[in-house]
Amino acid sequence: MSAALGAERPQVVSHVQQALSYTVFDCKWVPRSARLLCLGSAARGTGVVQLYELHGARLELLREIEKPKPIKCGTFGATSLQQRYLATGDFDGNLNIWNLEAPEIPVYSVKGHKEIINSIDGVGGLGIGEGAPEIVTGSRDGTVKVWDPRQNDTPVANMEPVQGESKRDCWTVAFGNAYNQEERVVCAGYDNGDIKLFDLKTMSLRWETNIKNGVCSVEFDRKDINMNKLVATSLEGKFHVFDMRTQHPTKGFASVSEKAQKSTIWQVRHLPQNRDVFMTSGGSGSLHLWKYEYPAQRSKKDSEGSEMGVAGSVSLLQNVTLSTQPISSLDWSPDKKGLCVCGAFDQTVRVLIVTKLNKI
Amino acid sequence: MPVWLREHSWRQTLTAVYLSLPLRGARATPANIFCSEQYLKVSIPPFLFEAVLYAPIDDTNSTAKIGNGSIFFTLYKKEPAMWDSLTLANADKEKLQYLRENAVLKAQDKAKEETEAKKITKQEHKKYALEATMKLEEAERKRIEDLKEKERQKVAKELELWKNQQKDGDKYKSIQKKEELHQEIEPLKERKNEKINKTWIPNEGTSKTRLKSTKGCHGSSSIFSQNLKEEQLPAPRAAATIKVNFTPRVFPTALRESRVAEEEEWLHKQAEARRIINSDLSELEDLKEEEKNPDWLKDKGNKMFAMGDYLGAVNAYNLAVRLNNKLPLLYLNRAACHLKLRNLHKAIEDSSKALELLTPPVPDNENARVKAHVRRGTAFCQLELYTEGLQDYEAALKIDPRNKNIEKDAEKIRHLIQGTMQDS
Repeated sequence: MSAALGAERPQVVSHVQQALSYTVFDCKWVPRSARLLCLGSAARGTGVVQLYELHGARLELLREIEKPKPIKCGTFGATSLQQRYLATGDFDGNLNIWNLEAPEIPVYSVKGHKEIINSIDGVGGLGIGEGAPEIVTGSRDGTVKVWDPRQNDTPVANMEPVQGESKRDCWTVAFGNAYNQEERVVCAGYDNGDIKLFDLKTMSLRWETNIKNGVCSVEFDRKDINMNKLVATSLEGKFHVFDMRTQHPTKGFASVSEKAQKSTIWQVRHLPQNRDVFMTSGGSGSLHLWKYEYPAQRSKKDSEGSEMGVAGSVSLLQNVTLSTQPISSLDWSPDKKGLCVCGAFDQTVRVLIVTKLNKI
Repeated sequence: MPVWLREHSWRQTLTAVYLSLPLRGARATPANIFCSEQYLKVSIPPFLFEAVLYAPIDDTNSTAKIGNGSIFFTLYKKEPAMWDSLTLANADKEKLQYLRENAVLKAQDKAKEETEAKKITKQEHKKYALEATMKLEEAERKRIEDLKEKERQKVAKELELWKNQQKDGDKYKSIQKKEELHQEIEPLKERKNEKINKTWIPNEGTSKTRLKSTKGCHGSSSIFSQNLKEEQLPAPRAAATIKVNFTPRVFPTALRESRVAEEEEWLHKQAEARRIINSDLSELEDLKEEEKNPDWLKDKGNKMFAMGDYLGAVNAYNLAVRLNNKLPLLYLNRAACHLKLRNLHKAIEDSSKALELLTPPVPDNENARVKAHVRRGTAFCQLELYTEGLQDYEAALKIDPRNKNIEKDAEKIRHLIQGTMQDS
């Protein structure tokens, strides 16, 4: 059990609150800076990208960009640190990569999906991991597509339903296992509770399971290492932590699940500086900070002699309620430990600081 | 009759009277002493001492000391004067009584006043205590708030520092970026106009990074390593498709655990309704309007049963059931038909279904339930399952204990059972 108790527990301090005039769907820190991006949808049905800079106790708006379609999600994961291009998915199924200094024309654009792109992730950029930079998008049309910014118009991988099968919405995607140039894995969560793990090196389905509730968010604890842990959050306030080091031939990966709150858990984000600490944001406007503890032995042999993983335990470090509306997006700053931004459906973006993370 | 204590002795000074009263072995407590301005009484049943004093005394300050088998009174005079005697000499009975009553009343008033005063002081104490606790809680809250504020400020300061570091680093980058910008926008615009698919050349990126990598003040190691990586970037993956199967779900909405039970029920009902509709479609077109009414069909069936046309009755009941399978009487009557037709298993099924539908066991459906039990019992017996038959008969008896026929039949079955047991 963690020894953080009472005055030693991490505190979530609300640093800045900024009211917005549009619905914010995603907020991201610009790497290597004190700037953050808010992506969303304005009331008149257009997309909004706002760039803010943190100045003392307030956010200063540096730039506002308007796009024809509302924007649902964005990532910096596939660009280099110098370029820092933003990849966005919008309500129409378009994937665009923008240079924020010259945002009139996208650097890369493709109409990737027939319906809204719910989730986007990038790997291979920002000096993290190895291999080609790639972007994965998951959409309501039931497909998950992987794109390489060097190849126009066609995805390099397409995970689509079998012919004739009715589609399920894909709600979330995440990259993982990118520890060398060849290996890469995409995890996708769907609204019928399916989680599927696709191996891009062998172009096959590596594992699938169903967690009985629609999957809102999946994230590996680190994208650029041999896959270690995967957290999947769902409706009805549950989340599951899977130990991804040992795959059993029939039982798959071991997991521990926790029911945190009565409402949907919208997002999970791991702390970039400590891969065993993660924060979940809920539909009741609350944030929970968790720590995962590994079991004494991470794998054991079952009756037939095949290796089986052992899941550890999760403990709650802190929780705080910031809003009455769901907090739909969350992002830790990769540069300052404990600094994070969250956007909620009450049209506010909040910058928070989580203290005492060194003592965990 | 009280025993008067008369052996008292007293002496006086200008301001006080000292009275000593031996108690003759009786035990005295403060409750036994009653004193008012001009009247003093000590009553320890059966002993009694009373004195109407010569002059009024200050009864609040006067004291009585109990000990050594006597009471020692110290009475302070209201007016300093020497008394001729302890008591009023020529006190007649009436005056005495009047004085006594007065004294008692006065004492009562005083007691009331005292309780009043006590109440008031108690309330004030309570108020004071409440205010004190409130102050303490305020102080605690303030302390916590202050801690939080301090934390916030500390954190804000750190952030500022970090931010300034970032700013310095960024300045260099922004200068170089502006140079690049022009180079980048031109080719982009051309591309858009010509609508030619050009592949994005990775090496363009690397050449630019080499230009500005020298001035970056932090993260320089990562920039250099990035250069190397960029040169070794693998080619884009060979395009491939993975076919996916989903866990089947009928509803287009997302799966929620709490709703699963409701959804199952809904699907079940839908399936039932569909079944009924499908089965009826083909044949019902031939029937007349009245023949689609289950009650009319039931009556028809009853008539046919009365006339002995059991098969016809069964048909009528079958059709009625298809139209409305929730009427217990249909099953009940069909069971009777099956009994007559010696379809014993079907009779048992139908009576069981009827009993199921008659589940709230109220006096209203007593009749029907008795019949159902009897019919099922008969069927069991005819199948030689006498124990089950007996169970049903006994159930019928329980509902209607006065039915002689059922009793007789139950007896018969019991004998049969005993007979078979003796044989085997």
